[in-house]
Amino acid sequence: MTRVRVLFAMAGAAVAVGLWFAFTAPTDALQGEFSRIINIHVPSLWVAFLAFGVTALGSILWLIRKKPRWDRLASASAEIGVLFTAIGLFTGMVWGQAVWGRAWDWGDARLATTAVMFFVYLGYLALRRATPDQPARAQRSAVLGTIAFVQVPLVYFSVNLFRTLHQTQSIRPDGSTMPPEMLIAMLINVLTFTLLYVALMAARTEIAVVEEAAAPVASMAGEGISPPRLGEVEDV
Amino acid sequence: MSFWSQTMEIARVDMSLERRTGDVTRIVVPFAVIALLVFPLALGVDLSGISRIGPAVFWALGVLFGMQVALRQTASDSPERRDLYALLGVDPAAKFTGRTISGAVLTLGFFAALLVAMVVLYSPRLPEGWLAPTLLSAMLVAIGLTELGTLAGEVTAGLRSRTSLASLIVAPLAIPLIIGGSQTLESVAREATILPWILLLLATDLALAVAGVGLARPLEEASR
Amino acid sequence: MAHETPPVAALATLNRTGVTLGNTRVLSDITFSVAPGEVVGVVGANGSGKTTLLRLIASLIAPDRGDGTVLGARLGTSEVFTIRRRIGLISHIPTTIPELTLEENLLHAVRLAGHETAKVADSLRAVGLEGSSDRKASDSSFGMKRRTEVARLLITKPSILLLDEAISGLDSDAHALIDALVDRTVGSGGAVIVVSHDPLQMEKASTVFGLAVGALTEMT
Repeated sequence: MTRVRVLFAMAGAAVAVGLWFAFTAPTDALQGEFSRIINIHVPSLWVAFLAFGVTALGSILWLIRKKPRWDRLASASAEIGVLFTAIGLFTGMVWGQAVWGRAWDWGDARLATTAVMFFVYLGYLALRRATPDQPARAQRSAVLGTIAFVQVPLVYFSVNLFRTLHQTQSIRPDGSTMPPEMLIAMLINVLTFTLLYVALMAARTEIAVVEEAAAPVASMAGEGISPPRLGEVEDV
Repeated sequence: MSFWSQTMEIARVDMSLERRTGDVTRIVVPFAVIALLVFPLALGVDLSGISRIGPAVFWALGVLFGMQVALRQTASDSPERRDLYALLGVDPAAKFTGRTISGAVLTLGFFAALLVAMVVLYSPRLPEGWLAPTLLSAMLVAIGLTELGTLAGEVTAGLRSRTSLASLIVAPLAIPLIIGGSQTLESVAREATILPWILLLLATDLALAVAGVGLARPLEEASR
Repeated sequence: MAHETPPVAALATLNRTGVTLGNTRVLSDITFSVAPGEVVGVVGANGSGKTTLLRLIASLIAPDRGDGTVLGARLGTSEVFTIRRRIGLISHIPTTIPELTLEENLLHAVRLAGHETAKVADSLRAVGLEGSSDRKASDSSFGMKRRTEVARLLITKPSILLLDEAISGLDSDAHALIDALVDRTVGSGGAVIVVSHDPLQMEKASTVFGLAVGALTEMT
């Protein structure tokens, strides 16, 4: 448990630093204060993609090794991934509404893919919830985690092919379109959110260990049934 | 040899079960045609609008209802039948492939029925030379959709909320199929090349085939 | 992990094997083996784990403690995939596809197992179903479906035959068919495990075990 506390303390300190940078960095001339949303939006989506990548890795490793830790890794990461996808989508929509006058941009392949990914992993979590038997749950969700890993890039590719009207990505190999102070603030927040992800993962996997240990004590087959005593019971 | 004879046997029995139960012809097709009728009623009777949205509605309904073909009752094995198949030495990958073949044939038949109904009800303006590309893309969409549906059906086998859960799993992952199918027709209308869309559909079918064959055994062992 | 080498002759062995299904520990400590030519019986009350024991030996579920082998393959490993087709299981519910006729059900199974379909008509006659082979399974009685299963096992000739309440609810003719199937399996060097709640169904067994609280005790 101390490991989790230390990680959360570090993440908390990092969040404070990240917030300081987010609110002191210069704003974009056109977007005004709304440009600060990028300090939550981009790091959230980065963590979401990282988390779903870890889910895919955990799923594949579970299929190969069948060790419970890989199942815990995959499921914990999917939960955190869904949370941060929701935050990323919401902040993106707020920003879109403020800057473009509309919350949803149909021309943006990344936005559509992120939304699809959100539902794919909601389905993943629903499947886990619907499967009562632990080994079957691990096996089935590992298969789905692997299929999603194969299919999500194709979703991105297809939507991208469908329409690419959106502005180019902010970080490009040939340099940045952002002022350096804004970029530094955003990158610091990416680090902050990554640390937060690590802390949440540590906590969630430890909870999973406790949950599994606290699962109802196995009852023995044939227990709880005793010979009938019709003679001893009156009125029936 | 054994793989393909098992594959063809599974596909053959699936087809004769469909002939007897009519899960697709008597349930999925009428349901989808009703959905075709609902759209114009909800939009109002603007004739030019209706003829314009026809192909798009066809692809959206085709993929959403096509999932139900792969998830049909006769393609889901009872626990006893799973045990029997295991003890007969049925290769789960052969079962997946056989299910995909029968399901793709049925889905293609469903698409054909829905296409005719859409043309009759919506009188869409279809570009010249639309039929061959549409059939090609419909075939590729049918294969991909069946692969996805069969996988989702296996992942949710025996669960109480199977039908709705499997649909939730298939729908978002079927996006490349909807886009590939509808954009093939769009490209014909714009006189652009259909090649990227056909390649997209082929890549999707192939990726799902590899996943389905590769994951068939672990899935089979988890479904008991 | 050190474990005793099973006797070469045994067709199935279980060594301190346990199985948990969901939150229920169904089998906790089963040690048992069956040799070629042997008929072993297991008697237990409802819910004592008899079906689970047979499904374990049929390699359909994996043990979560101890180990075991069936036809030389270690349970819970991929080795079982190659020997499964040599295991015959009659479960308490006859397994048929309701929309197919009895003959089609048999043909389907025989084709999947890679056996010759030429024997199907003969085996249907052998079990007395030649007059109802074109009847749908959904329109057939319990006994007819049971006989279809016997017809299948006459063709697939399993090395290990597992009978789960196989005689319950059958008339004397069908009962005699199951007995003949047991004799054939044993006669060709196979083994049979009979499981029932009813001690009277153990007449062919040379050894009978009682199954209670997840463990076996020898009764005779």
